[in-house]
Amino acid sequence: MIQSLRRVFLTLLFLSISTPNIFAFEAGEGGEEEPVIDIVGTVADHDYFKAFGAKIYLPRIYYWEDAAGETHLDFYTSVKSAEASEEFTHSEEGVTVPADGGHIIVDMSLTSHLLYFWFGLGGAVFITFLAASRYRKGVGRDVEPKGALQNLFEVLFIFVRDEIAKENIDDHKYARFVPYLFTVFMGISFMNLFGLLPWAATATADLTVTGTLAVITFVITQFSGTKDYWGHIFWFPGVPGWVRIILTPVEILGMFTKPFALAIRLFANMLSGKIMIIAILGLVFIFADAFGTAAGLGVGVFSVSLTAALYALKAFVALVQAYIFTLLSAVFIGMAAEDHEHGEEGYYTEHVE
Amino acid sequence: MTLLLAGGSFLSFNTGFAIWILISMVVFLFVMTKYAVPPIMKSLAEREQNIKESLESAEQAIAKAEKISEDNKKALREAEVKAQQIRKEALDEAELLRTERINKAKEDAAHIIEQAKASIEQEKKQALMELRSEVAKLAVRSASIIIDSELDVEKNNKLVDNFLSDLPKN
Repeated sequence: MIQSLRRVFLTLLFLSISTPNIFAFEAGEGGEEEPVIDIVGTVADHDYFKAFGAKIYLPRIYYWEDAAGETHLDFYTSVKSAEASEEFTHSEEGVTVPADGGHIIVDMSLTSHLLYFWFGLGGAVFITFLAASRYRKGVGRDVEPKGALQNLFEVLFIFVRDEIAKENIDDHKYARFVPYLFTVFMGISFMNLFGLLPWAATATADLTVTGTLAVITFVITQFSGTKDYWGHIFWFPGVPGWVRIILTPVEILGMFTKPFALAIRLFANMLSGKIMIIAILGLVFIFADAFGTAAGLGVGVFSVSLTAALYALKAFVALVQAYIFTLLSAVFIGMAAEDHEHGEEGYYTEHVE
Repeated sequence: MTLLLAGGSFLSFNTGFAIWILISMVVFLFVMTKYAVPPIMKSLAEREQNIKESLESAEQAIAKAEKISEDNKKALREAEVKAQQIRKEALDEAELLRTERINKAKEDAAHIIEQAKASIEQEKKQALMELRSEVAKLAVRSASIIIDSELDVEKNNKLVDNFLSDLPKN
């Protein structure tokens, strides 16, 4: 509890410090001339999908309100076709807006992060299906699992089942949450690892993705909450009545800070790694731009070797963060779904002390 | 809707994007929960159960085999003891039988000897009798030859008989 509050505080601190800097960076560099390297542009979500040097523009879906107050749902194959349709125009801030007033209510456009989210989760579902078909045939059920892939899959699956789910959730309940935990673990791992590809985007370095995942964990947690869990939130047992005036708001706040910390932790970790690598590699171009090619080459030696080391670290962090997200999800669910099997007396002494 | 920065920045929370992710997550989770994970969970649980049961039954089998071998050893020991006993009994019996036989043989032999002795005695007696009568006859004949037929046969026979009965018996 204290730890998650501290994390939230630190995250807010991080946001309060870093956001103006990013603003300044964007305004200062972008305003006067083309920046040498655009960090924010690289890590941000895009309306195109980049692979092997080619850009594929993704369809736009806008649910918007025009100046007259009428709502429309429009579909365009790309931003260009949207802006060519005369319904939309490119605003001065670089955003697509309706041409004659009005605003976009919901932007349901496909983006690069969404595609990588689908790749990640799709990859997780795909290999699970692949493994499931083998198990259905009896390989791994009647006989031993065969082949490196199935064994590797089993290591991961049993890790999630035993070390994450069984460890934190009551024995008779854990099986229900294994599909979610495994999907999230594999999906986040895939998304994080896809993010290591130089041309790819890290879907988990997007607050929307991590936030939505955390919301799902939050919803599952609340729906698996026992009477005891709600009792602890609204009517904390074993404390004087007036303390509850303080405790209840804190507990209610705690319900939300947990998934919030979950979202911010994953997002910040993945984003920071990405920014760090871009910044360090960007030094090469900044130096080359400022002091000539030789300086750029010189810095390149340093930058590239550091980046190589960072990549190894990032590959490790990618799995660790997936593990942490899954583990904490399991812990939160386990805390909510826990059955307290104790008599009233022991219960009070246990909680008062 | 953007939360912190106008579009394109990484700190924005994009509602449309979130809706996409929510929908996809629900679909992915439904597929995983309904079709992909349960067969794996079931297979693994079954396999674990199988392995557990196999180990248990193997342990039981080992225990059983050990018990059987123990029983066998015990039976063997008992059989050996019994065999020893039987042999001893047989030996004793044989000994008994032998002594009995020997005794009987000795008895039989004694009996036969006794009988033989008796019959010899008998024979001897008879032989003596025959010898005596033969001797008497011989004597009479010889006497008759010698003294001729004048002599009274009856008187002579009586005389000889008297003589013979006076002779010692053996």
